[in-house]
Amino acid sequence: MLPELLQGVDTGGLLVIQDSASYSGRHLLQSFINAALNREEAVHVLGFEVSEEELKDGLRGSPVQRLHFHNAYTDPLGWTDHPAFTVHQFCLGELTRLVKQTSHSKPAILVIDSLSWILRHVSTPDVCRTLQQLRKGGAVRSIIGLLHADMHQRGTVGSVCHSATSVITVEPAMRGDEAVAKITKRSKSGKVIQDEEIFRIKDDLTVLVQSKSSKGAKKADSEEQETDPTANLTFNLRLSDTEREAKQKLALPFVFSKAKKTALLHSGPGSGRIHYEPDANDDYDQEDPDDDLDV
Amino acid sequence: MAAPMSSVGKPSAERSPFNNTSFQKKTRSKLISIPGTRPSVQNGQLLVSTGVTSLDYLLGGGLAVGTVLLIEEDRYDSYSRMILKYFLAEGVVCRHELYVAAAQDNPDDILQELPAPILDDVAMHKPAEQPRLSREPPDALDAMKIAWRYQNLPKVQTALASSSRFGHYYDVSKTMEPEIRQAAKCHRFYLPEHPTQSSPPHSTMLESYSALLKSLQEVINREGFDVAAPMSNSRNILRIGLHSLGSALWGDDLCCHDNPKNGRALTTFLYGLRALLRSSLSVAVVTLPSHLIQDRAIMGSITRLCDNAIALESFKGSERETNPLYKDYHGLIHVRQVPHLNCLASKLPDHKDLAFKLKRKQFSIERLHLPPDLSDTVSRVSRGELAGATTVASACGSGSSGNKHLDF
Repeated sequence: MLPELLQGVDTGGLLVIQDSASYSGRHLLQSFINAALNREEAVHVLGFEVSEEELKDGLRGSPVQRLHFHNAYTDPLGWTDHPAFTVHQFCLGELTRLVKQTSHSKPAILVIDSLSWILRHVSTPDVCRTLQQLRKGGAVRSIIGLLHADMHQRGTVGSVCHSATSVITVEPAMRGDEAVAKITKRSKSGKVIQDEEIFRIKDDLTVLVQSKSSKGAKKADSEEQETDPTANLTFNLRLSDTEREAKQKLALPFVFSKAKKTALLHSGPGSGRIHYEPDANDDYDQEDPDDDLDV
Repeated sequence: MAAPMSSVGKPSAERSPFNNTSFQKKTRSKLISIPGTRPSVQNGQLLVSTGVTSLDYLLGGGLAVGTVLLIEEDRYDSYSRMILKYFLAEGVVCRHELYVAAAQDNPDDILQELPAPILDDVAMHKPAEQPRLSREPPDALDAMKIAWRYQNLPKVQTALASSSRFGHYYDVSKTMEPEIRQAAKCHRFYLPEHPTQSSPPHSTMLESYSALLKSLQEVINREGFDVAAPMSNSRNILRIGLHSLGSALWGDDLCCHDNPKNGRALTTFLYGLRALLRSSLSVAVVTLPSHLIQDRAIMGSITRLCDNAIALESFKGSERETNPLYKDYHGLIHVRQVPHLNCLASKLPDHKDLAFKLKRKQFSIERLHLPPDLSDTVSRVSRGELAGATTVASACGSGSSGNKHLDF
C-alpha cells in the first residue's frame, strides 16, 4: 500500500509518519516530497529540524523549482529581530498567507518537518485544531507531517494520529537498509485498512517494497463471481425466444380469469385476514448452520 | 429522576400508534404518550429506543428519557459512530427532534450517512402505501402468476422488521432517503463555526463546552422540551448526539497529556449536561475516545457521571483479529455502568462476556460463545502419539497419559 500512498494523499488528508530514534523517517518523507514534485505539484516545506541545504541535498535529482522551503531552522522561536518563520506563526491565517503568496493556482501540499518540534512549543489541542482548519480550508491540498513518537506522551501521539487519514509507523527491519512500515489508512466511508510492508529507499528516493510481512495480509472482500449454472452441461437448459413465448402462452391449470382474481383478492367484509408478526424464531440465518446451537 | 408526569385531565383519546389492538387500559393516565417511547416494565420510566434492539435489551429495555449514554469509542471510531447514527436514525423514524454536535466532522455529514430504515409497517413518508385498488393496471396482477392470492399482503421481512414500533431495523448498506431525513427537525452545533471567546480565568469549563451547553439550553427552552414548560398536547423528545467529546479538537487536553490541565472540564460539562437533561424531555448519547485518556481516575469519574456507559473494543488492528475464538465477531462490548434511577440497585446484565457483530441489517450483541471445534484432530488420535504412549504405558502404567490413547 505504500506505493499507492506515494501516488498521492487524498484531498483534505493528513498523513503522519511516525518514527523513533532507531529509524529516522526523514528519508521516507523525502521520498514523499520527491514523488509530489515529480507529479508537478507545489510543495511547501516547514523546516524546523533540518536546514534548507540539507533537505535539498537529499533531493538532488528532483525538480526543485516547485519546492518552497520556509526556513524555520535558523530562528524558530523568534529570538532575533527578524525571524524567517517562528513556531508561533503556526496558525491558520499565517500559514494560508504563506502558502498563497508563493503558490500557483492549484492548492499545494504542505510538508511539516517536524510536528514534534511544534508540539513542544504549542499546545496539542491548538495544533490539532490548526491542522483540522488547514485541511478544511482550500489553500492546502493535503498535509504530510513527521512525528517522533518517542518524544511525546502516548496521549499526544494518539490525539494527533486520531484525526489523521493515514498513519505510517516506520521501524528498522532485520537487514540494515530495510525498514518495516505499518500503515493504517482510514477512508472517508469509515473503512480502515491496515498493512505491513518491508521497504527500502533507493538512492534516487524511490521506494522499493520488498515484500509484505505475513501478519499484514489484508483480507479483501471479493465479490463472488456468479457462475452460470446452465453452462457446461450435457443437456440444454436454455430457452430460445420461440420456446419462451410458448411457455408464456401455456395456460396453467388453476389460473382464473382476471375478474375472478380481483373478486377473490379484494374479499368482502367478514372474511379472515392473516396477521403475521415475525418473532425471534424467524431470525434464522440460513448461512449460519450453528445459529441454533446453545453452546 | 421522576418520569415526566403531566396531569392530563382526560385520558388520551387517540389510539397510540404502537398498539395493535383496540384495547385501551381504562386509567387516568398520567404519562404522556409520545410516539416512539414506551414505559419501562421494570420501573415505569419512559424509555426510548437507541436504534439497536440488542443494545436496548442490554440497557434494560431502552434509554430512559433524561439520561446520558456514554459510548467509549473503539480505536478507529467506526462502531461507535455507527451506534450514534443508529440513534439519530431512530429519532428520524420516530419523528423526534435531533441535536447533533461535533468538532471534527460537520454534523450535516453525519446526518447524511444515516442508515436507511427497513420500512415494513412504518407508514410514514411513503407515498405508495395505499392498498391496491381494483383499478390497478393489469400488469401488476400478472406480476404474480401462480401465487396471486398473496399479492396484496405486505412483504414480510424475516429479518424482523419491526412489528412493535419501539425498535426499528436499519439497512447499513443504504443511506436514508433525503425526504425522510428532512422531515425531521435537526439542530446542529459545529464547533469551528463558533468563535472561541476567552473564558473567565477561574472557570473550570472550557469555552467550547460552555458554548455547547448554552446552545443546548437555548434549544431546549425555545422548542419547549422543558418539563416545566406549559403543557401542550404534542410533546416530543429531543435526541442529542455529541460526537467525540473530550478529543483534542474540542480544545480539551484530556486526551493529550498524562496530567491534563483541564482535567475537570469534561466532568463539569457532563454534570451540567445531566442537570439539563433531568429537567427536560431529552436523551443524550455521548461518544468519547477513551483509549486516548491515560488517567484512569478521570475516566472513572466520567463513567460515574453518565447514567449508562458501554465501551466498545474492536478487533481491528489488534492481535485478536486473527484469534480463532473471535472470528465471528467484530469486537467486544463491555458494560461499564447501568443506571439506577430512583432506586438503590439496578438489574445488571447476566453475562460479562459480550461481543458484537455488525451485520447488514442488524447490529447484534451476543454472548461470546466458542465456535464449534471443527478441526480434524479433535476426536482422532494421531499415530505418532499413540506409538509414544504405549511405551510409556508399559513402563509405569500411570492413568493420565495412558487413558487418552486407549485403543480397543
